[in-house]
Amino acid sequence: MDIEFSQEDLAFQKEVQDFIKDNLPKGMDLWTKRGEWFQALREKGGWDVAKWPPAFGGPEFTPTQRYIFDMEMARHSTPPQLPFGVGMLAPILMNYGTKEQQDRFLPGIRDGSVNWCQGYSEPGAGSDLANLKTRAELSADGTHYVVNGQKIWTTLAHIAHWMFCLTRTSSTGVKQEGITFLLIPMDDPGIEVKPIITLGGSHTVNEVYITDVKVPVENRIGEEGKGWTYAKGLLVHERTGLAGIQNSVLALEKAKDNARSVKVGQGTLMDVPAFRNKVGALEAELLALEFTELRTLAQVSAGGDPGPESSIMKLKGTEIQQRISELNLEAAGVYGAAWGNPVGHSFAKGATSAYLGARATTIYGGASEVQKDVIAKNVLGLG
Amino acid sequence: MDLSYTEEQNLLRDSLQKYIEDNYDISQRNKLTKSDTGYSATNWQQFADLGWLGMAFSEADGGFGGSAVDTMVMMEEFGKGLVVEPFLSTVVMFGSAISEFGSSAQKEQLIPGIIDGTLLGTVAYAELQAHHDLENIETTATAEGDDFIINGTKSVVLHAASADQIIVSTRTSGASDSKEGISLFIVDAASNGISRTDYPTVDGLRASEITFADVRVSGDQLLGQLDQGYTVLNKIANRTILALAAEAVGAMEVLYKDTIAYTKQREQFDHPLSEFQVLKHRMTEMFMEYSLSKSLTMKATMLESQNSADAQRTIHALKYLIGKASRFVGQNAVQLHGGMGMTEELRIAHYFKRLMVIDSQFGNMDHHLEKFVA
Ligand SMILES: Cc1cc2nc3c(=O)[nH]c(=O)nc-3n(C[C@H](O)[C@H](O)[C@H](O)COP(=O)(O)OP(=O)(O)OC[C@H]3O[C@@H](n4cnc5c(N)ncnc54)[C@H](O)[C@@H]3O)c2cc1C
Repeated sequence: MDIEFSQEDLAFQKEVQDFIKDNLPKGMDLWTKRGEWFQALREKGGWDVAKWPPAFGGPEFTPTQRYIFDMEMARHSTPPQLPFGVGMLAPILMNYGTKEQQDRFLPGIRDGSVNWCQGYSEPGAGSDLANLKTRAELSADGTHYVVNGQKIWTTLAHIAHWMFCLTRTSSTGVKQEGITFLLIPMDDPGIEVKPIITLGGSHTVNEVYITDVKVPVENRIGEEGKGWTYAKGLLVHERTGLAGIQNSVLALEKAKDNARSVKVGQGTLMDVPAFRNKVGALEAELLALEFTELRTLAQVSAGGDPGPESSIMKLKGTEIQQRISELNLEAAGVYGAAWGNPVGHSFAKGATSAYLGARATTIYGGASEVQKDVIAKNVLGLG
Repeated sequence: MDLSYTEEQNLLRDSLQKYIEDNYDISQRNKLTKSDTGYSATNWQQFADLGWLGMAFSEADGGFGGSAVDTMVMMEEFGKGLVVEPFLSTVVMFGSAISEFGSSAQKEQLIPGIIDGTLLGTVAYAELQAHHDLENIETTATAEGDDFIINGTKSVVLHAASADQIIVSTRTSGASDSKEGISLFIVDAASNGISRTDYPTVDGLRASEITFADVRVSGDQLLGQLDQGYTVLNKIANRTILALAAEAVGAMEVLYKDTIAYTKQREQFDHPLSEFQVLKHRMTEMFMEYSLSKSLTMKATMLESQNSADAQRTIHALKYLIGKASRFVGQNAVQLHGGMGMTEELRIAHYFKRLMVIDSQFGNMDHHLEKFVA
């Protein structure tokens, strides 16, 4: 065993750090110049799509290099990509799509010109996703499907050009069978998007009503009735990404800075034992979680599969995200109530919204209670 | 010992419940929170007509001679209804301080207006450098002849925009974190030198940042003794904590009951969610947190109304327990509703946010736990 990165890995880390230093737009430019940033990543050799395989333009990273890459990107708060295209749909297209579908959709995903949303959940199909009822009926001539139904909680549907969607093509047999994976353009007149306002007043999720939308069979991924298998692989992908460990490392440092800016008596909030202990506990758990990620990585590097530990990442990672948001809320003190108004501590304005928003992390991408059931069954062999 | 409500208290509770049922569903509340003032003047007048605003004042002051227990009964119902009218700021924070520490002239001038609904008040106590320490005050009041000149800034002053009179905590002597040298003044909200930034709070109420720039008050406006204001301020804090705790108990009751009702009706995996053991246990824990909170609220309220020596410690324990229980009940109500729990459309979102804010008022759970164990 060796806890240190190899010389080559350290050299790679330096290369990533230097690249970020040279290319990451500063401060306010971050948003307006994000296009240039992604262009630079791309020219560096596929770093814009670091998780894609080389055959599709991704870089030749070893698993350790990919870990280092992700860590450095998170630590430097580089602009994130919307996850739906690059992170979620692309792997499905690569694994199960036709060459035509790959050529048609991957370029727009990669350059960010086409936004995607994920149309899985329905009013009756949340944790029990296989219960979905949106119907897709093949036309008599076999050229297209007619889709009818409703999706809910669809993140960013209101800015999406396309939706990747799970539909039901057969209701006989077990629920998991008879699900078909379709790509649906959002500008179809049969698509209606209604906003859902979430805790704290923001609009990111939507209801999507689908009425008599004709979807050509060319927009079906893989075989009819096999959509569940394709989507399940993707869900695993989604979950490991949702742990946000490196972001939490950074967020905890920021929370400490915030607490140090809050005066309490002669010192600061970081001197208050109850608060400091909570910070310490989180830091200890994060150290352990970070290393858990490395253990998983080591197994993958050695040619194995990620192993049972990978399943706890989303569970623990999201719990930690929520607890960090609690620290910031507590540090904001009375100003937490003033949410959205620039009064009191400078960080307070965002602390409340972040706390409210973080409640969703243990609900989406597999609610924690259900995740624990999955682990108990698949990892621990408990029924 | 008698832990049952009196006949009058039962009647009071029934009339509140009926009123809230008739006038206060979540869509009506949403209308109020989006209105200009953030509450309904009509409702407020009805509160006065029903005698609720005068309940806690002594008969000598024109009230009904009620006790802290009556206030608890009312606040618990306000918590269940998520009432936005400025009862806490006007009656509990402002009113009880006047009735307990005001001079006879001050009482005569202010209390009748509170009782008949024509006078609103609040208390400006929080400051940026204080975090949750009540005694940490940098706002100054400097004597000038018989007058005092107030300078400083107060934060998150509840319902300040609609208040006619504001009790302001100031430093008249001593170091900025000393309990000695604090003086409270009753300041007309329209005084020269007062400027406000008003904003809606995340729980649907209203608050303001208030700056006092050479605000002149007369010596008559001093509430209690010069330099001895900490006693008054701490009393306001204790009374408010008891009221907040009762409100939180009411809100928690709605949350745990709504969660039970929702999980019974929501089906996933061909079963109502309420049949899954982990959720049953979670709801049982929510109920436990609620019950313990209710018990300690009652105990602390009775100790305080009997001026017991144990009241102060119990109130610290209470604010800790309420903060912890509210967080658990609130977070799990959201969690067990799944995506629905995240929507502004369901009322639980609003109860969740109110409980979140209650923890930040008059010292959060860590602050009071530390005082409890000290
Ligand atoms: C902010 C946000 C963004 C989202 N974005 C998207 C998106 O872009 N696309 C998309 O398709 N979906 C999206 N979702 C939906 C998300 O995947 C679902 O909310 C999630 O799957 C949970 O389903 P549900 O909301 O129906 O809750 P339910 O399934 O009704 O669950 C409610 C509660 O019951 C518990 N529970 C359920 N079953 C069991 C069981 N068997 N045992 C024990 N406990 C159980 C759950 O853990 C949860 O606490 C989003 C959700 C949110 C909140």
